[in-house]
Amino acid sequence: MKFRIKYADRIVGIFVVLAALFLVASVIVLGANQRWFAKDYRFVSRFGSAAGIAPGTPIMLKGFQIGKIDRIRLNEDNEVDVEFSIYDSYYGKAKVNSLLELVTSPIGLGSQLLFHPGKGEEILEEGAFVATANSPEGEALIEQELVDIPVKDDTVTRLLGNINPLIENLNKTVVTVNRTLTEVNRALAGQSSGPLGRMIEDAADTVAGVEALVGGVRGDAEAIVSKANDLAASLERITRNLEDTTAALRDPTGLVPRLLDPKGSVKTLLDDKNALYNSILGSVAEIQRTLKNIQAMTTTLNTQMPTVAATLEETRTAIRQAQDVLEGLKNNPLLKGGIPERKDQTPLYQSLREGEF
Amino acid sequence: MLRRIGESVRRRAGEILYGLGFFYSLLKESVLFFRRRQVGYRVLVMQILFTGYEALRISAVLAMAIGVAINLIGASLLAEFGQGKLMYTLLIIVITRELGPLLTAFIVTARSGTAIATELGGMVVNHEIEAYVAVGVNPLSYLGAPRLIGVVVSMLVLSIYFNLFGLLGSFAIMQVLKPVALAEYLRNLVAVLTVRDLMSGLLKSLIFGLIIASVSIHRGFAVERASTEIPVAGIRAVGASFILIILADAAVTAAQYLG
Repeated sequence: MKFRIKYADRIVGIFVVLAALFLVASVIVLGANQRWFAKDYRFVSRFGSAAGIAPGTPIMLKGFQIGKIDRIRLNEDNEVDVEFSIYDSYYGKAKVNSLLELVTSPIGLGSQLLFHPGKGEEILEEGAFVATANSPEGEALIEQELVDIPVKDDTVTRLLGNINPLIENLNKTVVTVNRTLTEVNRALAGQSSGPLGRMIEDAADTVAGVEALVGGVRGDAEAIVSKANDLAASLERITRNLEDTTAALRDPTGLVPRLLDPKGSVKTLLDDKNALYNSILGSVAEIQRTLKNIQAMTTTLNTQMPTVAATLEETRTAIRQAQDVLEGLKNNPLLKGGIPERKDQTPLYQSLREGEF
Repeated sequence: MLRRIGESVRRRAGEILYGLGFFYSLLKESVLFFRRRQVGYRVLVMQILFTGYEALRISAVLAMAIGVAINLIGASLLAEFGQGKLMYTLLIIVITRELGPLLTAFIVTARSGTAIATELGGMVVNHEIEAYVAVGVNPLSYLGAPRLIGVVVSMLVLSIYFNLFGLLGSFAIMQVLKPVALAEYLRNLVAVLTVRDLMSGLLKSLIFGLIIASVSIHRGFAVERASTEIPVAGIRAVGASFILIILADAAVTAAQYLG
């Protein structure tokens, strides 16, 4: 008979018992891990909302889970009654004046339920009420410094901690502005006896003074306008006279015939026994002589022009030769290559009449 | 044609009803087995020996291989997302809750399901069943109940060993990739393992064991007179068991996740 057939009972027994032992051991370990055999101390609390809390939510103290929420219930006052338990190993931390605080991450990383132990020595009795940090009882405990709240050292919480005072300051500013506006409104309504009210009364007096001043100015302006009207009337009369004069000049029987009349001023001027005529005639003769002299001088100049031109040409030639000599001296043949050949400069622009035209 | 369809439906419905009745009788005899255990105790022990103990080796190898594979895949994949700790959750989900019971059921079906169906089929062909009946022994009580209990117990025990070896295999490969102390490894495992996970695996093993045993016994007894029916019974037992196991697995998983 085969070994395993012969000892089938024992083999099967060991096979099953080992598995059963492993299973039982696993269940015991799991049970211990899930605190089946440990005593938990139960307490109650109250939250405004169940957001962020649920049965099983861990209660943390300085990063350690010291308990969990067992049950939540919406009560008749629409608040959330919470039953939670603290593990026996951390029961010593649950002192009188302890607080619960729900911290929610502003960037959506979930929430944490923190436990802040009270500063007293007395341990909380099982079933006692533990206030939340944002409840009036909790705020009173914090103000009286009866609870040990650690410094929040994570960046986001610190930022939030900085933002809160800013928001409070902003709130105060808004309240102050509102109060100021109310005061202004009261002052404008004449109900204020403060500095602003007095300022507004002074302003009203000033406005009355300005109105009186404007009345005076208006009277003076009316007088000025009256004088200006008189002046305009005078100007209108002058203009009318000018129109009359122009019309008289245009009239063929008016001023011009009277000037050309044999008995008029022109006749009188011309009737001076040729004195004026003779004087004019003399002047013309003198001008004629002057013109003759000019003509003679011009003729002389014309005859002398070739001579002058030849002289100028000779002078230019002498200068060019002198220039060559100087150049020759500068470029001494004993030293350098003698007098260089002169090259005439070709004009850049030629007349249309030059060349082959 | 309508007559044929009608006959087919009637026959199928009759088979299902017969199967349910058979299952009920088998279950009843299995419950009563412990009252009269002297009758088939030896059969039960031998069934556990053949179905459970002898399948332990292949089950252990498979479990360790699966554990190693999960660790290798998870170590490279999860680390990329900074979720290395999820390795333990992955191990629990795959080995304890899902793959462990399913692979164990496939092993047992392939080994013992066919064996039970062919053995019982052979007994029918050899008129042994008729002899039991003739001497007043209920074949379901003497042959069926110990096999059903043996397969169910073997499935439960093998499933536990599958967990053990699967998690050990994972630990072994972890010593190569990223050495971790056994205590720390177990602590991390226990941190994510819940009794619900454990019970889920055991519940599946129980259901799969009932399916394998019932279908195999039913198929074995369904053999009529020809010896050629015996292998067919074995094949049908395996096919039907696989289908029912997968459907049951889906149903149990859906009930767990949706419930």
